Amino acid sequence: MKALAIAAVNVRRTLRERTSLFFIVLFPMLLILVLGMAFGGTFEPRVGIAAPAREPLAQELVERLRAADGIDVRVHEREDEVVAAVERGDLEAGLVVPGGYDAAVTGQGRAIVRYVVRPGIQGQQVGSVVTAVVDEEAGRLRAARVASAETGLPFDVALGRVDGVAASAPTVTVAVRTAGEADFPENLGRFDLMASSQLLLFIFLTSLTGASALIETRRLGVTRRMLATPVRAGTVVLGEALGRFAVAVLQGVIIMSGAALVFGVDWGAPLPAVLLMVAFALLASGAGLLMGAVARTSEQAVAVGVLLGMAFGALGGAMMPLELFSRTMRAVAHLTPHAWAVDGYAELVRRGGGLLDVLPQIGVLIAGAAALLALASWRLHRVLAN
Amino acid sequence: MAVRMDVTPALRCRGLRRRYGDLIAVDGVSFEIALGETYGLLGPNGAGKTTVISMVAGVLRADAGEVSVAGQPMTPRTPAVKARIGYVPQDVALYPDLSGRENLRFFARLYGLSRAEARSRVAEVLETIGLAERARDPVGEYSGGMKRRLNIGVGLLHQPRLLILDEPTVGVDPQSRNAILASVEALATGGMAVLYTTHYMEEAQRLCDRVGVIDNGRLVAEGTVRELTALVGEHDRVVLAADGDLPAAAEKLRTVAGVREVSVGAGRLELLCGDGRAALPEILACLASAGVAVRSVELREPDLEAVFLHLTGKSLRD
Repeated sequence: MKALAIAAVNVRRTLRERTSLFFIVLFPMLLILVLGMAFGGTFEPRVGIAAPAREPLAQELVERLRAADGIDVRVHEREDEVVAAVERGDLEAGLVVPGGYDAAVTGQGRAIVRYVVRPGIQGQQVGSVVTAVVDEEAGRLRAARVASAETGLPFDVALGRVDGVAASAPTVTVAVRTAGEADFPENLGRFDLMASSQLLLFIFLTSLTGASALIETRRLGVTRRMLATPVRAGTVVLGEALGRFAVAVLQGVIIMSGAALVFGVDWGAPLPAVLLMVAFALLASGAGLLMGAVARTSEQAVAVGVLLGMAFGALGGAMMPLELFSRTMRAVAHLTPHAWAVDGYAELVRRGGGLLDVLPQIGVLIAGAAALLALASWRLHRVLAN
Repeated sequence: MAVRMDVTPALRCRGLRRRYGDLIAVDGVSFEIALGETYGLLGPNGAGKTTVISMVAGVLRADAGEVSVAGQPMTPRTPAVKARIGYVPQDVALYPDLSGRENLRFFARLYGLSRAEARSRVAEVLETIGLAERARDPVGEYSGGMKRRLNIGVGLLHQPRLLILDEPTVGVDPQSRNAILASVEALATGGMAVLYTTHYMEEAQRLCDRVGVIDNGRLVAEGTVRELTALVGEHDRVVLAADGDLPAAAEKLRTVAGVREVSVGAGRLELLCGDGRAALPEILACLASAGVAVRSVELREPDLEAVFLHLTGKSLRD
């Protein structure tokens, strides 16, 4: 009961401080929002098209591009608008259909459409979609021109015949078969990926920097005074650890429920998702307690805590997906608790896993928590004994 | 001050010793305090008072020696003994971001009071220390004196039999200081044993039934104020500012009954007497007959400052 009293005071003091409320709740939620808006969700490249408005065949090309999968077509009036938008990054690519396109394709001339893109792999990927549509349209127009030349029919009539025949003509299509699972499934919500990363990053950061409260309690002489009451040193250590743990779990619950309610984040199966968070919170509170036992001043605890929290977050895949790491770096990442928890949430959120699938991750986190709490308790006992 | 000597002392310390590296902070300190007795540990800063108190309160392990409270030995395995002690540290040890009431409730729980007991005791203590009106305010907004009073209040929550106060008036304004001293006097009258450390000899003289003089970690003398002053053979000093033939007057003064010693300075005579007040009329008459005009008279009775100076060769404020 006395340990609970110490823990309760810890929680009350943390929640009463406005700056800690900002960093515990508001800041992580804000980052989930910003990062989700910037990078989350299924991404469809934007392709700007400038085509002569009064040329029917040019407009037909635009419509065929609109119907193509995988690109989001935006129509512009002039070529320079398209080029400027690509330069600014407002469009991933642009296509310029020149004036006189209809005359060129129906007569003996040659129409050249220009594809505008910034250097990089994304332009090439979008280019393959655009080229496929333009090639198909060019084949249709060539067939109509041949038919018109051979039969003497007007071009538009020949084009109609070609379209009629095309429907029943034999075709060769490429059938796509997926093997394995996508790293980032298409149905992944805009905020799903970032939410678990921010959850882990901020629970760990808050726990490490929260060590300053423990140091402050010692500096104020309150810890020493607690030891003058009928309370064993072990009870004081347990109370402080419970307090840190309660704050970490509370933060986790707020972020998880807040992100689910406000941003519709899918955390996967609820029970394993919560257990994974609790295991990570336990480890983070152990790390915080150790920091509180080792650091000499509050300022030192905050500075080192922020540094370690950010470094572990970056290395452990809480800032960039582990799938983008090299094989070696991915192995190194698993020296951090974040990587294990990130793996766990990937299993739950992206692959629809259950409790059994994340038991190894939960086990590793609890083992790490036990080691850190034991080390921190030993160290705090020594500090308090002196 | 009422002194009730019980068979079992409220506190017994035997051979307390504590070393910090090469420094021996406390070296074989032993003393006892009876219920209702106020015992003062008097010594300059760094003498070892706080170290002794920390060992008695159980927040610091002694390298050697024993502490027993009401006959029960204090060891790391017997934290329940601490329930008999109220400890008031030298520095204000409270959460500044919690209110006075929240701080008291927190420590009440640590002292093992139930929720209901805690609620009623906290209310009583707030009244006792005069902070009931400000109970809801964060301690960080309290004045220095209010913080000190709350600091003492924490030590009273569980109605201990022994109250340990470590220099509770340091940095306190005169008004709060008087209030604190009056509270301690009232507690002792109520039967509580009090261990009080200070380097203000006036406080020790006002409050303490017995005083232990501590220097360099050793208890160099112990007794009532009168016993201590008698122990070192101190006398009253009469200091006179005067005009006239002072060396001749000094010769005459040496024949006055009760005057032990006379020294002459520039415009000044200093006399050492067994009882200065009793001898003063005859001294003044002697000076008048010698044609010396007295401008001022000062009577200095022996005090603990003099005792400390005599015992250690140092001032309490060194």
